[in-house]
Amino acid sequence: MKKGFIWSVLSILFLLLLVACGDSEDTENSEAASATASDTETEESTEPIEIDFWHAMSGPHEEAIMEYVEQFNSEHENITVTPVNQGSYDDLEQKIMAAAKAQTLPTIAQAVTNVVPEYTANNFITSLNDFIEDPEIGLSDEEFNDYVDVFKESSSWDGTYYSLPFSKSTRILFYNKELLEENGLEVPETWEDIRTISEVLTGDGVVGMGFENSYESEFQAILKQLGGTYIDEATSEATFASDEGIEAMTLIKEMIDDGIARTAGEDDYMSNPFSRGDVAMYIGSSAGIPHVAEAADGNIEWSTTTMPTLDGEAATTFAGNDIVMFSQSDDAEQKAAWEFMKYLTSPEVTADWSMKSGYLPVRYSAQELDNYQAFVAENPAYEAGTAQFDAGFFIARIEGGDAVRNIVLEELEYILLDDKTVEEGLTDAQERANQELN
Amino acid sequence: MTLRPNWKSTCKAILYLLPALLILITFNIYPIIKSFLMSFYTDYDYFNNVVHARGLTNFITLFNDQNFIKALSNTLIFVVGVVPISIILSLLIALLLNSKIKFLGFFRTIYFLPFVTSVVAVAIVWGWIFHSDYGLLNYFLGWFGVDPIKWITDPNFAMLALIILSIWKGLGFNIIIFLAGLQNINQQYYLAAKVDGASAWNRFKTVTLPLLSPTMFFISIISIINAFKVFDEIFALFNGRPGPANSTLTVVYYVYQKFYEEWQFGLASAAAFVLFIFVFIFTLIQLIIGKKFVHYQ
Repeated sequence: MKKGFIWSVLSILFLLLLVACGDSEDTENSEAASATASDTETEESTEPIEIDFWHAMSGPHEEAIMEYVEQFNSEHENITVTPVNQGSYDDLEQKIMAAAKAQTLPTIAQAVTNVVPEYTANNFITSLNDFIEDPEIGLSDEEFNDYVDVFKESSSWDGTYYSLPFSKSTRILFYNKELLEENGLEVPETWEDIRTISEVLTGDGVVGMGFENSYESEFQAILKQLGGTYIDEATSEATFASDEGIEAMTLIKEMIDDGIARTAGEDDYMSNPFSRGDVAMYIGSSAGIPHVAEAADGNIEWSTTTMPTLDGEAATTFAGNDIVMFSQSDDAEQKAAWEFMKYLTSPEVTADWSMKSGYLPVRYSAQELDNYQAFVAENPAYEAGTAQFDAGFFIARIEGGDAVRNIVLEELEYILLDDKTVEEGLTDAQERANQELN
Repeated sequence: MTLRPNWKSTCKAILYLLPALLILITFNIYPIIKSFLMSFYTDYDYFNNVVHARGLTNFITLFNDQNFIKALSNTLIFVVGVVPISIILSLLIALLLNSKIKFLGFFRTIYFLPFVTSVVAVAIVWGWIFHSDYGLLNYFLGWFGVDPIKWITDPNFAMLALIILSIWKGLGFNIIIFLAGLQNINQQYYLAAKVDGASAWNRFKTVTLPLLSPTMFFISIISIINAFKVFDEIFALFNGRPGPANSTLTVVYYVYQKFYEEWQFGLASAAAFVLFIFVFIFTLIQLIIGKKFVHYQ
């Protein structure tokens, strides 16, 4: 009995050992297999290749992606792209982090531009320069220059391209047409206009101006319009507590203190109070257009215009998601993925994507397509985003950028709650940010 | 029949425990040890598992970080705010449900529903209830002449809003456990007490409470541990932010921020370990107190 028991324990341990060994052998074998496979694939590229594409799009956006994938797969016999919805942007980022650790990254994924520096610092993603410059499968000069400049710039680091733009958005001004017309007001063009119009329209349960909870974008835009710098990308130094920074924040805060502006607060996003008619104007993401369109239907008449200017200076942030390629996948997969990336950013697809999702077309020529022009003529709200490509900039893409964002959001809250003055809050935020960045 | 502990019986016990142990070791104990070790990595390549430097810097940074101190105190406020009220309320409701009332099954289901509903759905509904302009709660308070309260956006009320939501959400689980405990009490004790002429309050004090003490003990330990770990409710109720001006930043939220948002893996591990120590100490205290007050039948 005793003997039998010890044997059973030993045999279980032995089994475990076998399983463990078996695993490592398996992976070695499959690695070897995939290595040889990739060799042959690069030579002939007729072997079927499967690549995964992780994204964070759901609902109608995901349906659109499925369409593009089906179209692409049917056009490319030997390539099968599998789109995988990973939940929200946060979920996607967390899963990429986990997959990087577990060495199970997909071939390509959607990624917020701001997180790309962390990916490059840890060598997750591969430079796209070789693909872009490849005489056979690359982009011609004409094609390359067709990508919108501000997106090209936000995808490159010192001349190295780590991403292609995909779901990009910018900040635009939404306004309630009826309210403006009833009061005989023109569509605002400058921050002074915003102030005077807000003063007129505030009252009767309506607040003139609205800011998203993440109004640090507007702070950055005003700061830029005043000639200041938020964070110097070259030196990784935060410089927003300058005189310009204080002036920019004061402009926003005074409007809120005077009761002629509010933030989204508990409504999470401004599209809800705006569509209810509680707020006459607001600055938000151009990707919010479909949300406003849906919520405002039958409620209010609205449209959009470009970001207000200050002393004739225009500036607005462009943000959103790019597509990155991970370095864990082999050459053949990367080549196939590149084909898909080119396809997703082709003028026809990006125009269609823009019409369906509300994101911006990433190619200049996409705007000239007949169906896109017809679409914009019917939906003039889409004009504002592409109209300000030239005024576009993006926030410094640096390692630790998200930590700085948390600090800034926290200190801006103290400022709005009057726990700190504008100067104190910004100075504290800048000090903490620089501590984080160095 | 009682087995004397010897080699054979110990091995046998281990064999029986093995399946559970394997899972516990892989998913609980190994990560605890790993994160303990990681909290000492000051310069660490997380993705390639290369440690360049070790030290105590993470813990020093942690206790010099105002936000971590705030997270600790917020967590304690949350635990103190949620656990006692939740236990008392659920005991009262369990006592009511244990008496002969109509539609018993219906009420039990109603109280258990919040527990099995997804936190995100719950938080969306409570987001509406707490809304300062359109919310039910302010509408209701308005009858008593209370001015609208900004539950979600005022740092003075955000924690209260979170506590209300969490108590409501956790009630169902506690009630079910209490009900099971109540039904385990032999009716003869009550009959004997009645014969002796004990009032309802006396019966509760001298029969129900002592005999319910093992259940109470279990619930208090589970509730405190769960309250220390609060995260989902905050993330969902405040839309991915730790409340206005960090007013509902808890330790787990802090860990989340440092790990997933800021890629500071060592610091996050250190914070998680401090939380572990806190929970451990609280559980020890409870065990010691429990020995005095818990009566097993």
